Amino acid sequence: MLNFGNEKVPVCHGFTRRSFLQAGSAGLAGLTLPALVQQQVAGAVADGKIRNCITIFLVGSPGHLDTWDMKPEAPAEIRGKFKPIDTNVPGVQICEHFPLMARMMDKVALIRSLHHKTGATHENGQRWMMTGHDFNPDSVKPHTGSVVSRVFGQKSELPANVILPSPIGNTGAGPLHGQTAAYLGSAHEPFFVNADPAAPDFRVGDLELPAGQSAARFDSRQRLLGQLDDLQRRTEARSTQMHESAYHRAFRLLTSPQAKAALDLAREPDHLRDRYGRNTFGQSCLLARRLIEGGVRYVTVNHFETVFNLTCWDMHADGGGLNNTYLDYERHLCPQFDLAFTALIDDLQQRGLLEETVVAVLSEFGRTPQVNARGGRDHYPNAWTNFLCGGNIRGGQVVGSTDKIGARPSNNPIEPPQILASIYHGMGIHLDTTMLPGPGERPIRLVDAEPIRQLF
Amino acid sequence: MDQKFEGTPHAEIRLEGRKVVRGDVTHDWGLRLQWEVRRNGQVIATPPARLEASYEHADATPGAYEIVLQMWKYVDYRKDPAGEFVNSRFIDISNKVGYTI
Repeated sequence: MLNFGNEKVPVCHGFTRRSFLQAGSAGLAGLTLPALVQQQVAGAVADGKIRNCITIFLVGSPGHLDTWDMKPEAPAEIRGKFKPIDTNVPGVQICEHFPLMARMMDKVALIRSLHHKTGATHENGQRWMMTGHDFNPDSVKPHTGSVVSRVFGQKSELPANVILPSPIGNTGAGPLHGQTAAYLGSAHEPFFVNADPAAPDFRVGDLELPAGQSAARFDSRQRLLGQLDDLQRRTEARSTQMHESAYHRAFRLLTSPQAKAALDLAREPDHLRDRYGRNTFGQSCLLARRLIEGGVRYVTVNHFETVFNLTCWDMHADGGGLNNTYLDYERHLCPQFDLAFTALIDDLQQRGLLEETVVAVLSEFGRTPQVNARGGRDHYPNAWTNFLCGGNIRGGQVVGSTDKIGARPSNNPIEPPQILASIYHGMGIHLDTTMLPGPGERPIRLVDAEPIRQLF
Repeated sequence: MDQKFEGTPHAEIRLEGRKVVRGDVTHDWGLRLQWEVRRNGQVIATPPARLEASYEHADATPGAYEIVLQMWKYVDYRKDPAGEFVNSRFIDISNKVGYTI
């Protein structure tokens, strides 16, 4: 059976269509249509000059005191092992293990007073930062990219909302990570690449015709589907008609040279691939740029899909399955992020895309000011640092601050919905006039917060 | 999925007096890049090499110096009770150069 990406959820809810597809799964291209290609429903807002967004999500969460909010004057058990270095913005220092980023701090707006007031689980932080909302199991909220997909639709044959290399998996406290379309429906589910761009055989396998399927035969099946669509359009409800577009988009994506080209990293020169770093994260960032060029509106790069049994930002140093330490930060995580992030910003700028693309680096929370007995730091949602650049965001500045040990915001406290509102604003979306059809199609704000005005 | 690292990094280095200069790193894994400086066979410094393409070791203690470019190789994150990695390690990714003071 043929699928797009790894998205296995059939969207065919109509009896007639389901029967049609099931019957045709062998004979009609073997196609299970993914949710992502369902056409946007009525009520979309005119596109205008809406910018794009790339969100880099640091799963596990870096310690703010070890990265972008250092406290060199604090006691040793607070300030940690790393030293700050100057950046190209006078008075702004960051960790010594981000030397490349330090040279482009004039493009970056650090937000050092971020905090949330819910439990210190990864999932709470993920849902805050992916949706802009607190978690309510009775009203799961959509991913920001799904909101953008719902409101603005696709602008090319590529999906509006892509997550790569894979969705966030097990981070300890349940399956809800804020990376779904929720009530917006299957049409706006993120497209998960679900393949490793650093793998030598990288391909989004489901964007291939099944073995033995010729393009001509596929086309004939598409024409047949079109004829049946015409027949049903005259007899069925509008909700079914929405599926028609989904089918045609599915076919277009499957056969789209544009989609295949966007996903083909081999088209990039070796020196640029090296510049991003020949690893999963670096090549994912490069792929994000290609997808934005190809017409994707919102790309999320998950830096890791889990926190267990691998090097990641979750530095508990517990001696077991969560055993990341300062050595992982120094040798692996900080260098990897530093190279890929700065490559992305440089690359976007050289192509004239940085002003058209907000780049947001987000995480779930900070880490405890006090280094724990094993030399790690634990979850800490009371204060942390994330940052934005690109779009119309004014770089070279710091929003807010924390107290002398990084325990609490001491100035201009910022909560997650304000970050999401700022991303929307940075993309050129007017939150007072652009509404989202909520449950029951009633218009609601995209997020219940105002943008951080200092950023613009 | 755990992270993948494509290819094997490599760079050429050369001496200009006592200053060592590196070329671009091909198949750069993007992990910590450092100079390993040895004197009479003993490691005496491992300064970072990412930001600048050259390095001159300031210490002029007499001896035979040897320098190589290294990159961190991630195999897994397992550590021993002392906190050091068990399988992951730094590997040489360049030719070696040397001088004597």
